[in-house]
Amino acid sequence: MSSEQTLSADVVIVGSGVAGSSIANELVRAGISVIVLEAGPRVDRQHFVENFRNLENKPSYQGPFPAVPWARHPPDQVTPNDYLHTAGPDAEAYQQVYLRMMGGTTWHWAGCAWRYLPSDFELKTRYGQGRDWALKYDDLEPFYYQAEVMMGVCGPDPAKEDLGSPRKQPYPMDALPISYAAQEFRKLIAEKTPWRVVHEPQARNTRPYDGRPTCEGHNNCMPICPIGAMYNGSYSVYHAEAAGAKFVANAVVYRIERDAANKRVTAVHYYDPEKTSHRVTGKYFVIAAHCIETAKLLLVSADEQSPDGVANSSGHVGRNMMDHTGVQVTFISGDKALWPGRGPLETNVIDNFRDGDWRNERGAYLVHMVDDNQVDLATQMAIAKGYVGRELEERIRYLAAHTVRLFSHNEALPDPENRLTLSKTKKDILGIPHPDVYYKLPEYTVKSCEHTRKVFRELIGLMHGTDEQWTPGYFPQDHPSGSTIMGVDPKDSVVDGECRTHDHDNLFIASSSVFSTVGTGNITLTVAALALRVADTLKKEFAHA
Amino acid sequence: MATDRNDQPPSGWCASPNAIRLRSALRLSRRNTLMGVAAGAALGGSAWADAPGTSVTPSAPLMAPDHFMALSRRLTDRPALDARIGAALLDELLKVDAKRPQQLRKLHALMEKTRPKSGSAFAREAEKADPAFRDVIREILAGWYRGVANGRVVVYRSALMFDITKDAIFPKTYAAGGPFYWTSKPPEVAPPTGTPALPPIKLVIEPT
Repeated sequence: MSSEQTLSADVVIVGSGVAGSSIANELVRAGISVIVLEAGPRVDRQHFVENFRNLENKPSYQGPFPAVPWARHPPDQVTPNDYLHTAGPDAEAYQQVYLRMMGGTTWHWAGCAWRYLPSDFELKTRYGQGRDWALKYDDLEPFYYQAEVMMGVCGPDPAKEDLGSPRKQPYPMDALPISYAAQEFRKLIAEKTPWRVVHEPQARNTRPYDGRPTCEGHNNCMPICPIGAMYNGSYSVYHAEAAGAKFVANAVVYRIERDAANKRVTAVHYYDPEKTSHRVTGKYFVIAAHCIETAKLLLVSADEQSPDGVANSSGHVGRNMMDHTGVQVTFISGDKALWPGRGPLETNVIDNFRDGDWRNERGAYLVHMVDDNQVDLATQMAIAKGYVGRELEERIRYLAAHTVRLFSHNEALPDPENRLTLSKTKKDILGIPHPDVYYKLPEYTVKSCEHTRKVFRELIGLMHGTDEQWTPGYFPQDHPSGSTIMGVDPKDSVVDGECRTHDHDNLFIASSSVFSTVGTGNITLTVAALALRVADTLKKEFAHA
Repeated sequence: MATDRNDQPPSGWCASPNAIRLRSALRLSRRNTLMGVAAGAALGGSAWADAPGTSVTPSAPLMAPDHFMALSRRLTDRPALDARIGAALLDELLKVDAKRPQQLRKLHALMEKTRPKSGSAFAREAEKADPAFRDVIREILAGWYRGVANGRVVVYRSALMFDITKDAIFPKTYAAGGPFYWTSKPPEVAPPTGTPALPPIKLVIEPT
């Protein structure tokens, strides 16, 4: 437990995911020294791919990424869970997964790179629900574009397919051509419903980009793209390192030290796997450790100066937990063979329910027709049904060609009662408490999910579907947000519109934890845009210093 | 996974930054098994009755690989199957349960006695003779078609489920269709007419 000063930099960043690594890359290229502390290990893509191929439960997103004992992450979405302990009426709906690894959780995302809608930032003003953010869409627009260029996002031409988020520049790459299954789904929706299917914007190469290849359609975006055609945080790590940023793996930050006035952070302390403590000093500090671990770290850092945790004078650290808790159904289409699973995993979306006047009473949502290879599931289904021999083979083939999965992202609201706290009984091998989360689905989200179920039943009917398998209850979408909520009032929020903590002048947070509401699109592009905006703020402050 | 490693100090399995492996001990034993099987096949060997690591001297075979292959050909209605994959599957299937070796031998004996005309006909006869054969048959089928036995991946790309569907789709991580192959029209599939041979069981879908 010796404590000695070993490292120092202009900016110290906790967490090496999309947020932390992209800030590091921006700053180091502006001549600002950076150290990034990552709790988990550094592992190369090839090892994750090998783990995937040897995994019996192929749909397990966490499976190829075993945690290390000093940086645990949830093993799966099962309740109870031996790391993320959820409780409350909808405990199972908040059983999120994420990764503590160099490069972060985007090792297993599907590359869905949505901008939020202007209305998503003004839910209170426009619909009388939730909160407004302390920034507007226009404040973030340039950083959305910067994030799209950084990741390499492909998307549709707004003149042909307007996704509702005004753009000053076209997408860096042309939209991904959608699969035969998605084309057929799109035709059906256009012909038989008032809705539409759009090309999903994706951080996936439709041409060689940033030294990475064009997507080959391995259908394994989650849990691991085998060739790196999809962006993930590791690429920002590599770019930042090439420019001189220092990344330290297996560095578990457990304390945030402040000055006597408790206004400025002076250092962070981390344990290595042997529990030797190290102190890292800097001029600015950014916590970019994922929604759950960020709140956990601020709470763990409680001391005499801040008995409720760092940056927590409002008492809102760990509160307002949100997600895109959704609905999921799998069924067998009675129409022509679709063969989902040819091409990338998520390419098309019904976007009609992302906004509307009804948002004054129920949450918005979007619908994915998941383009997921169903061969293994079809095989398990056919064997379970009792088929053998030739009859088994024809059944597998039919089910693989006709199994369809739909799921939704439904909008949550910030509720202070939905709260992350430190476990009083469970600790990791370093003695750091596990996270506990109490969760009750907001009525706003429940109503939204009810609407989704009606729409799904209509879609199943249109596809002459049978054998419906509904995921029981509500489906966690692994988009946790809100735990260090943004706002203009320091009494009821943790960070301001710049993602700077109200309490500590040189402490920023770059994570979905700052989201004031959660909209419907996948959260990563907004996390990246906010992070790049933090980098911009820091560059300006260093320039004026 | 984490449990495997929690029992050991980091230095035991994390010697290099890329040393993180999924159930590395198990994977090694699987690889060793395959190698052992290849050597055993050359000597006309079979699956042996020793518990792993208890003895190097072969004792009585638990099941002759030829018998397992004959059983597998009948249950899949296929005239030929890969003997190396069969031997690796058998090695795992024998470990599922203490009763499995005897059940597999009995199932083979029943097939020899009744000479069924198809996999489905055999499955129907077998489950009438002993309902416990339902699980054994399903395990053999899951082994060949999913490539999974005893909760472990024995083969992935060579699992028969991918052979059945190879004109339409690739195993995940092994696509080779060329740029944007997925936009083309895949083959139509006629509704199947066959009926189940065994009573259905509830499919428990594992968590993501």
